[in-house]
Amino acid sequence: MRNESLDEAVAVRADFRGGVVTPVAFVRKGREHRVARVNARWIDRVPRHPHFYFSVTDESGDVYQLQLQGGDLVWWLDSVTVEG
Amino acid sequence: MRSAILHVDIDAFFAAIEQQRDPRLKGRPVIVGAGVIASCSYEARAFGLRAGMRLSDARRLCPQAVILEGHAQVYRCYAEEIFARCRALAPAVETYLDEAYCDLTGTERLHGDLLEAARGLKRDIRAATGLAVTCGLGPNRMLAKLIGKTVKPDGLQRLDAGGADAFMRDQPVERVAGVGHAHARTLRSMNIRTAGEMRALPLAALERLFGANGRLLHERCRGRDTAAVSEREIPVSISRETSFHRDTADRVEIEGMLEYLVGRACRTARGLGIRPGTVAVRLRYGDGESAECARSLATPSDADPVALALALELLRRQFTRRVALHALGVTFSNFTRAGGEQGALFDEPEAGRRAALYRAFDRVRADFGHGILVSGRALHLKGRLAEDEHGFVLRTPSLTK
Repeated sequence: MRNESLDEAVAVRADFRGGVVTPVAFVRKGREHRVARVNARWIDRVPRHPHFYFSVTDESGDVYQLQLQGGDLVWWLDSVTVEG
Repeated sequence: MRSAILHVDIDAFFAAIEQQRDPRLKGRPVIVGAGVIASCSYEARAFGLRAGMRLSDARRLCPQAVILEGHAQVYRCYAEEIFARCRALAPAVETYLDEAYCDLTGTERLHGDLLEAARGLKRDIRAATGLAVTCGLGPNRMLAKLIGKTVKPDGLQRLDAGGADAFMRDQPVERVAGVGHAHARTLRSMNIRTAGEMRALPLAALERLFGANGRLLHERCRGRDTAAVSEREIPVSISRETSFHRDTADRVEIEGMLEYLVGRACRTARGLGIRPGTVAVRLRYGDGESAECARSLATPSDADPVALALALELLRRQFTRRVALHALGVTFSNFTRAGGEQGALFDEPEAGRRAALYRAFDRVRADFGHGILVSGRALHLKGRLAEDEHGFVLRTPSLTK
């Protein structure tokens, strides 16, 4: 397993139904990655505004970490983990 | 009133989170740690791997294991989520890195059957985090923890006061709270292997062997433990530590890392409104040797420069061998509430301004992450270490106990 830090602001399509945010797809380098599965979600409540984290698997099987910052509602792509 | 303590233990904590974050790891042996195993999955335990084992030994026993350095911030978030649910259940909760003691004494009228309440807590935790916990319910802390150990992982078990004596009698001496490696060695050298055999020793003999601890052990080997569950608003210690990405003897890098660790620990202390009275610095050399030294500050202080000056002195005094360092850590302890200690009659005029400056730093860091402000020697770490929004990525989970 190899974890690469990306640290990029990304455009994310998300579902906010039921008061729960769920990423549906994100665009990286002009390519849309559909979220096939949300593996895990956790919240960091230490910052003044909470940060919402998601581990997602895209259609190709790669695992990405997305982050929604509660203060400015900007989405970040933190990292990708690839096999090998 | 009969006391009832619930012990909640998160099963294979760090490894379970990593398996959840990346489903490709499920069913595979997973190790989290740097230098030594901090946590490993149950698949890894089947190969004989255990927390605390050196990674080199672990690789030999289980070459196919996936080894990850870990994500301390993620584990903290999960732990807070779990402990918040414990606090919703129990009036007093004492938390550690991956376990909690919940005092449920006197809550039967509120919760009904406490075993059912614990079952509900397990369900809630799994629904919220996807993690399994093992719960032990007993008449005191030690028995709650021990009975939980018999049903790991994902278990739930109750031990009534009536069954405590028989249960405790057959437990190995290492299981008695307060018996560490050294005490166990002493007892085994006397051919005492179980708590039941330990009961043959009179109180005076235990006190002669183990000092003040002897009285506690005399009670505990009989299944009696009077230690209370306390919220510990003031932690016992705040530790920040890391292993280096490669062993180093570069003093600039080592002192830079120390400044950074002290800064992180001071920020945590300020956030809790406490000031450390004692600073300890811990070194681990590349050849496995280690050294630790602690000293008290003249006056408890949460200011970075004050704690750093003492930490640097401790580092320079200990880092005397011509061997590269593998890991470095700083621990604050002996806390007093900020404002609660006696100040100097004529305080330094800049002390107030310095406190305001660090409060401002903390506000900026709360919004933009610790790494947004890097000072002094720690600047040398820029470009050498990976960074995330929390600052430099440390290789060992940071602890506040």
